[in-house]
Amino acid sequence: MKLLVNKLTKIFVRYFALYRSFLSHNLKNEMIYRANFAINVGMDIFFMMMNVLFFSILYGNVETVGGWTFHQTLILVGSVGIVRELAYLTFRKGFLELGNYVRTGNFDVMLTSPIAPAAHLAFRHVSLTDSLGEGLMGLLLVVYGFLHLSNASWIGIPFYLLMLVNSLVIYYALCLLINSLVFWLVKSQELNTVVYYFINTARYPREIYHGLGKIFFTFILPSSLIATTPAAILVGRANPSLVLISLSVAGGGLILGLFVWNWSLNFYSSASS
Amino acid sequence: MRKYWTVFQVNWQNALQYRGPTFISILGNLLHISVLLYLWNAIYLSNQSLGSYTLSDLITYYILQLIINSMVLSYISWEISDQISEGSFSNFLVKPVNYLHYWFTINLSGKLFEGLIILVVGAILSFLLIAHVSFPSSGLSLVYFIFSMILGGLLAFEFDFAIGILAFWIVKVNSFKYMLQYCIFFLAGALLPLDLFPVSFQVVANALPFRFLVFFPIQIFLEKEANPLPGFLIAMGWIVFLYFFLQFALRRGITRYEAVGK
Repeated sequence: MKLLVNKLTKIFVRYFALYRSFLSHNLKNEMIYRANFAINVGMDIFFMMMNVLFFSILYGNVETVGGWTFHQTLILVGSVGIVRELAYLTFRKGFLELGNYVRTGNFDVMLTSPIAPAAHLAFRHVSLTDSLGEGLMGLLLVVYGFLHLSNASWIGIPFYLLMLVNSLVIYYALCLLINSLVFWLVKSQELNTVVYYFINTARYPREIYHGLGKIFFTFILPSSLIATTPAAILVGRANPSLVLISLSVAGGGLILGLFVWNWSLNFYSSASS
Repeated sequence: MRKYWTVFQVNWQNALQYRGPTFISILGNLLHISVLLYLWNAIYLSNQSLGSYTLSDLITYYILQLIINSMVLSYISWEISDQISEGSFSNFLVKPVNYLHYWFTINLSGKLFEGLIILVVGAILSFLLIAHVSFPSSGLSLVYFIFSMILGGLLAFEFDFAIGILAFWIVKVNSFKYMLQYCIFFLAGALLPLDLFPVSFQVVANALPFRFLVFFPIQIFLEKEANPLPGFLIAMGWIVFLYFFLQFALRRGITRYEAVGK
């Protein structure tokens, strides 16, 4: 047992060191293009504002949506922003580049280096600034919404953060599953458009779905869990079954995703080499 | 005319060959629309309503929005600005085609191709939701609706072309363009019906021509537009004005063109 713990700690330390060096390397690269950085952040903030505008107009006409008030909904919108920034800080951008690696055969490098291919792909393109505007704006919206809650309770915050990480795991599992197809299609752009639509529909409260739609947006394309589960905890609407579903979708999805991904690697054709 | 017919055919075959992206983008739109339909349904189930709309009106609004998104709204500015900023626009300087007319043909064949697919999707969707779709009571409304879609398609093309040729003046136009396009769609009523906006917003949106892309045709279909004729005249005025303006802007743009990379 002790041996296993030791081994796991060693692996973790090694991966963390690799992550850090990739992150700092990429950050230096990104800092060269300062104008680009400013444009990225500006655009993120613009789109977050448009989401807020959508809901402000909507709430100009109604009191609640699926039982959620305006300020509670801001926490939903903000949470999506935070999850997206966390995803760019870990794995998202690698998948966007995957198609190029597979088409050119450069994916060989990932397969042969002494680190898991999925981790190598993710770390190689990890980016602090690509979604930073969304992350910051998201944080701002969550804080603003939280301060306007009538029943705000600080106890929820650690659980909120925990469920945000859980949402990140769901997001990752979906990315793995969908991007496994790249070894057959040799193009990843459209696959990632699907992922984009998935995260883009996450900002609506889960309570609006029922029947088949509820099953679809929980188990097939689990966008209804991404923002709703963490936000529900923060606003005091969570129930044990929702948390349980989210945890099992994350766990089950991750196992399935890793399995399918590792199996799909067998079909990589290593073009031009 | 024959050379544009060739352009049309070539692009049609292109669209057939690269149908994957078209399908995916329709699928994505369909996904977003279904989420919104659930949203409206939840609102009406909780005994609330949006403006003067019934649930059927709203469902119809968004099914039509799905169709209009494919048949009317234009997404050609990406390629136009790429051609300008990467230098392949130079080819057009020596060809006997008008750049505006060339892209109009490309856009037309793309919209017709997408339109065929989306009509099937829309028909299936309306069939599934038949109990919740408001159809116009008179054939005349339908004729007006189709005419307004044609006007909307022309205007949408002109706006998108304008965004594309901004690349003559602004080098890094991509993200700016994205925001501009989104603003146009918002003011067109693609995300929310314009009459749900706060009144001051509505005044602005009504004065701008963007409402002719989405909101205006749908209002005709829902028979909420008592007399569409003034709207038709205004839209046609904009189309003619923008046509001459774009030809003028194109001539000015060419004098600024640097043929980067060629």
